[in-house]
Amino acid sequence: MSPQSQLQVVTRYGAYFALAGVAILLVAGFFISNYQDYLFRTQRLGEVSAQSSILAASVTAALAFNDVETAREYVSALASNPEIEAAAVYDTRGAMFAGFSRAHGPLPHTLKAARARNGGLTVFTPIRQGSLALGTVYLTAIEEPSQRRFARYAAIMLLAIMAALFLAVMATAQRALRAVNSELQDRAMALAAANRQLETEMEERARAEEAARQSQKMEAVGQLSGGVAHDLNNLLTIIKGSLHLLQKRLAQGATDVQRYVDGANEGVERAAALTRRLLAFSRRQPLSPVPVELSSLASGMSDMVRQSAGERVSVAYRLDSTWKTVCDANLMENVILNLAINARDAMPDGGTLTIATRDVRADPHGADEVARRDHIELCIADTGFGMSEAVRARAFDPFFTTKPQGKGTGLGLSMAFGFIRQSGGTMRIESAPGRGTRVVIAMVRRAGDAVEAAS
Amino acid sequence: MSEGDLRRRLLFLSVAAFVLAASPSASAADRSLEYAVKATFLYKFAPFVDWPPGALGDGEAPFVICIVGADPFGDSTERMLEGQRIGTHPLALRRLAVADAHAGCHVMFVAGSPAQPVTQALDAVRGTPTLTVTDAPAAPGIIRFVMINDRVNFEIDANAAAANHLTISSKLLALAHTVSDGDRR
Repeated sequence: MSPQSQLQVVTRYGAYFALAGVAILLVAGFFISNYQDYLFRTQRLGEVSAQSSILAASVTAALAFNDVETAREYVSALASNPEIEAAAVYDTRGAMFAGFSRAHGPLPHTLKAARARNGGLTVFTPIRQGSLALGTVYLTAIEEPSQRRFARYAAIMLLAIMAALFLAVMATAQRALRAVNSELQDRAMALAAANRQLETEMEERARAEEAARQSQKMEAVGQLSGGVAHDLNNLLTIIKGSLHLLQKRLAQGATDVQRYVDGANEGVERAAALTRRLLAFSRRQPLSPVPVELSSLASGMSDMVRQSAGERVSVAYRLDSTWKTVCDANLMENVILNLAINARDAMPDGGTLTIATRDVRADPHGADEVARRDHIELCIADTGFGMSEAVRARAFDPFFTTKPQGKGTGLGLSMAFGFIRQSGGTMRIESAPGRGTRVVIAMVRRAGDAVEAAS
Repeated sequence: MSEGDLRRRLLFLSVAAFVLAASPSASAADRSLEYAVKATFLYKFAPFVDWPPGALGDGEAPFVICIVGADPFGDSTERMLEGQRIGTHPLALRRLAVADAHAGCHVMFVAGSPAQPVTQALDAVRGTPTLTVTDAPAAPGIIRFVMINDRVNFEIDANAAAANHLTISSKLLALAHTVSDGDRR
């Protein structure tokens, strides 16, 4: 039987159970009081019999020798007991010898009349002296003072009433409990329904997001394909043009064709560099980490940076770091170059590109694992137009670019981010529209150096 | 005559004794009623008295009531006592001219006679388990009948009872008009 159907059974029959309980209590009370009556009556009968026996024993001589006065004294002695209603002594013939009666009717003058009476506790005791039968004592007592009996019944009635009240209270409480229970059940069901709806919505949303991601991916692949095709196309044009000129010159019988061969080679080299970058992006290219001092690295590539920055942009260096980190030096150069080019692109009207390094001591309350260790900060900042929060949030996403179609692959920053993460560092962008952009790279200090410094 | 008739008559007599004894002149009829009551008393004393062990004989041995000297009760005494028992003992009535220690009486009413005055008769059974009853003020036995307010009553001499090895029930002593005990000071 399920708890619910049990509940229903209790609900339906609870009132009957309560009534049955009350009835049983009343019946039990009735039997108990009857039994008590019986016990009390037996006890009283014993008492009355004893008094009757005493009277019978003491009155023998008076009865035998016709001493009515003495007999009357003995009988009257019983009058002091208020529970004795009547007492009499009859001789062997059944005629009354002595007696007294309290209120209720005259005393029966013969033994026969006494025996015909009923009600109350009545006892007849033969009077004997030795073997000589002398007569009979008649003694009748009230069964029980009415107020005492009433008190007894009242106690039992009170118990029964209290039990009934208790049962009623129980039934009421149970009904209240049932009401609360069903309300709770309703609420739980509503909650479950809401939960199901929410789950459905979440599933729908997940599906929609998946679809959006898929379309973004397709878009990115298209962008990438376009960018790569464009780049490759340019290079192929260079190679094709060089080869065309080479063919033409050779047909003319010229021998100074090294220029064209170099041009084609350069195109091939650039195409190879492009594919290398694509491979690096897809993590196919293994890293070759070596100890690197970022300050030296940055100063070592100042010519390249100068060239990439263009004439309108001035480049400033503030290279304070002396610690070493461990990373792939070539890729780190690429990162710096990429960021320098991004900075240049952000300052079409000129500005200042600042490249700075500094050592930072471990901060036990740092926000991330790198900050809680000794690390080197590499900061590349421009004074360009900056970027909005939305752009900044997506800046590291692969294939995200703000440059016109075909101008960038959208892989520069994401590749830089992937490399830095792979090398155990962090990278973040601080920017706001019109206030320039600051890219901060944090690289963990080489482990051995940290131990030396500590010891 | 059946026991019931006897009882009825006895009761009649005893009731009549109270009624008639109240009249100022004690006639012969009064006296006969008085003695009828006294006769019933003779055997009614028995249940209130303890005889020493062996004094009453075995279960069926008769319980003997003797009337010594001039019988004041008359012939009806036998009929009154007929069929009565003291415990298991049937009652027997014996009339004696003179008392002696070997008469085997358990209750002895001593009326006295010229041949043996009351005192002599009492002396004769002194020390034997005999309940002596007298009517004479001058020579009281263990129990002596007295008339008080025209009613038959009795006095008891517990000392004399003790001399005869008898124990008298306190109930009987309580009912007695005078109980003499100790050394009769």
